[in-house]
Amino acid sequence: MDIFWQRLDAWFRIAMPSATAVLLALLGVVVWPLPYLGPVMPPLAFIALFYWSAHRPDLFPSGVAFLLGVLNDVINGFPLGVSAFLFTLAHQLIWRQRRFFAGHSFFMLWSGFALASALMMVAEWLLIGLVRWQATPFLPVLVQTVLAIVVFPLPCWIMIWLQRSVLSAG
Amino acid sequence: MSVRRSPSSGWSFVAASVPWRGFSQRFSFFVFSALALLLLVLSHVQPEMISSFRARTIDTLAPFLDAVARPMSAVEDIGASLRDTVSLRADNTKLRAENAHMVEWQNAVISLEKENRELRDLLHFKAEPSQSYISARVIADTGGAYARGLIVTAGKADGVREGMAAMTGEGLIGRVVEAGNWSSRIMLITDLNSRIPVAVARTGDRAILAGDNSPQPKLLFMPRDAAVFDGARIVTSGHGGIFPPNLPVGVLQEAGHGDYHVIPAADIGRVNDVRLVDFDLKGGIFNSIESRMRAESKKK
Repeated sequence: MDIFWQRLDAWFRIAMPSATAVLLALLGVVVWPLPYLGPVMPPLAFIALFYWSAHRPDLFPSGVAFLLGVLNDVINGFPLGVSAFLFTLAHQLIWRQRRFFAGHSFFMLWSGFALASALMMVAEWLLIGLVRWQATPFLPVLVQTVLAIVVFPLPCWIMIWLQRSVLSAG
Repeated sequence: MSVRRSPSSGWSFVAASVPWRGFSQRFSFFVFSALALLLLVLSHVQPEMISSFRARTIDTLAPFLDAVARPMSAVEDIGASLRDTVSLRADNTKLRAENAHMVEWQNAVISLEKENRELRDLLHFKAEPSQSYISARVIADTGGAYARGLIVTAGKADGVREGMAAMTGEGLIGRVVEAGNWSSRIMLITDLNSRIPVAVARTGDRAILAGDNSPQPKLLFMPRDAAVFDGARIVTSGHGGIFPPNLPVGVLQEAGHGDYHVIPAADIGRVNDVRLVDFDLKGGIFNSIESRMRAESKKK
């Protein structure tokens, strides 16, 4: 029985980063009790992707980034493959630069995220425009990016807490 | 592997096996980005296949979204009831005045209805196909900065079909673009790709209501000689046979340079429940012939 619990515990740890990412992706489309938030809802899935790709790429490999992207495309009604591609690409870039993002002060992580999310949003806007062959207004994208940077600390602290309490224990 | 410093330096965990991890990371990056590009191509070449994949995935996720949406809407309900309590007195006075006004209207409607029925009888007027409603709750607000859509808790199992009009009590909000078994996706009238045939209620001038992702969709192809004015009621025209005619849409607002906007009657920013309009005409000319044949066989 002990072995069973140990295995369950191990699985829980392994699945935790992906599970938080999926949960945040779903929270990103839920109807929040704030009216008119929908069009400028910060991309919570990307925040999770950024955090885990920088901190635990061993538990958050590119396959998970790809699947998270597929999920993001499906629930948001984006052309299928847009987020899947951008998330895989972002994962690779963040993974390569993780020494810059992780392991320093929180401020460094935050500025890293500001840069990454700005690049991501512009790339997403361009790619969706290209795939649909239709220019979408840029202003909501800009507001979304600013909001993403502003709210980043909150989901980030939750993930830091999870990482410290779940992944580092035992 | 056993080296674990502070959690923020989690990379050290990986560093132990860097050469192999580095290679496999790069390799899987190429595999998955190729797969993503393949998906992009597929969604262009095989849109039906991708659409049914989407619908099935959303069906699977619907219970989770629903579970998260419930507490959120509870919070919103509390907020709304607080606001209501604050404005109770003012609302009451306003409603009394409105009620008195409505009674006058009701009398007018009753006599007009009678007159209308008699005139229709004289003309042997063919009645409009009947319509019924399917109610659904909104569980997701999707599209972000690029599209305007909702996911609702009703699907094919409840009789939802693609193309159905979606309304709130106030007016039209969009149409069903993907129907799964238990959930459907609605494209709002404000979406960049939404095009709906409408008419000015009073004059019957036709136009196309075109969304542009802003809260107020535009009116396209309005006749030049149309006698329009600010505040004119816009309704669905029923052309194309997808929507029933005369569903309220909103009111017209001139934007200068011959451009017109429509202020939607429904508060699209905060929709919690929708009604999907089950209209007898299934859309398209064949269905209208089919429904006519059905109507005739009923007569026999």
